[in-house]
Amino acid sequence: MTFWFYLFFTLMLQALLISNGLVGLDNYYVSNELVHYTTCLITKDFNPDLMPYDLLVVPNGSDHVAMLKIKDKVRAFLGAGRALVCCDGWFTAWVPGNQWVMDNAHRTQAVRYFPGPDRHGLLQGFDLEDLIFSHGMSGWWACGYIRAAPGAEVLLADTWQRPIVVLDETTTAGRVLLTASGPLADVTYAGQSDSALVTLYRNFIRVLSTSKIPAHV
Amino acid sequence: MSNIGLIFNGVWSHYALATAPKYRDSYRLLYVHDLNAAAVQDLAALVIPFQSNQAVLTEKKEIIYDFLRAGKKVFVEGDSRTSWLPAQWEDRPVNNYWWVTDPNNPPVADTDFSHPVYQGLTPRQACWHTHGVYTSVPAAAAIIQTNAAGDVITWQTHEFGGTLLATTLDPIVEHGVQQITHLDNYVDRLTEWLGGVRPAPGRMTIDAAAYGAGAQV
Repeated sequence: MTFWFYLFFTLMLQALLISNGLVGLDNYYVSNELVHYTTCLITKDFNPDLMPYDLLVVPNGSDHVAMLKIKDKVRAFLGAGRALVCCDGWFTAWVPGNQWVMDNAHRTQAVRYFPGPDRHGLLQGFDLEDLIFSHGMSGWWACGYIRAAPGAEVLLADTWQRPIVVLDETTTAGRVLLTASGPLADVTYAGQSDSALVTLYRNFIRVLSTSKIPAHV
Repeated sequence: MSNIGLIFNGVWSHYALATAPKYRDSYRLLYVHDLNAAAVQDLAALVIPFQSNQAVLTEKKEIIYDFLRAGKKVFVEGDSRTSWLPAQWEDRPVNNYWWVTDPNNPPVADTDFSHPVYQGLTPRQACWHTHGVYTSVPAAAAIIQTNAAGDVITWQTHEFGGTLLATTLDPIVEHGVQQITHLDNYVDRLTEWLGGVRPAPGRMTIDAAAYGAGAQV
């Protein structure tokens, strides 16, 4: 009994899901045995307390004007060893050390992704081709690229060696998983296998859930 | 001088279009949480893009209807699930790949190409994908586009004084995303219809200086 009680409370992550009111967003992040999601709706006076949470999720289609307003809080949150997932185009400078930049200089037909070092196995369990091609067409997933922080792990780079998926464990004491836009999600649909985007996200969640989380140790 | 207000939910695709050199003299970003009557007073038109904050728009709907009552233009794209619009919108699966899998069955079956936004467009330029349908619209509305089932995709009304044009297409967001290469045709005509000035011909480009520390927010 004591063991299971301990296991539950050390593995369950508390995540804050940032929402700017997009229709259906909550359906993509469903609480499960590893994560409990609390949705934070952005208002004019957006100023959430991040510290009760282990993980901050800034999903596709987010409000990066609002996120810029709390950039110091995000840095402090990560400084306390917490984690951030941002899978959207953060055109404002609120992610410590890393910047997303839009770019349309290359044709999507030429987009391919190439794996880099992956110490935590975040790219395991899915076929990289699924991120490159959809219905035989390439370039459907990521938009723009990331100017990665020095020392950050570039998990995927594109045809032009630009970072597309980055794990940054060096800029702050926390862990940051970034993708150059494109929706990640934490949901399994009945009768369907998980998509590459869900698997990538859940691989990161598993890394977090098997690590010591400062909020709960 | 920009005279089209783009109601801005902090989303990167909205930002990418409005800060692109081709369009930045036409569009002015209006952050939705700062939206008030003074912010729209000198504008000729408003754009309410896909991925907007419908709850906040509902709270501020009188700003939109006062704008229409002043004889001006409002363009609404994508989903419109909440009650501020005098129409019934319903969700439908988005089909991005009909032109590969079923090219003779596009999401739009009929288009009134006499409408100024659609004049000169090819059927392919007038339809890429749709985000749901309108199952009812104001009685006096002109129907611009329908799907094969007869559901309304695009409609227009003068019922509120000015011109309200609504569509479940998403030209603003998709042109910001830059994965569909023919959207300059639609967006340039839309921009001219809304603001009176046709953008310079040619492909939309990105100003990298508008990203990161130089973000215009």
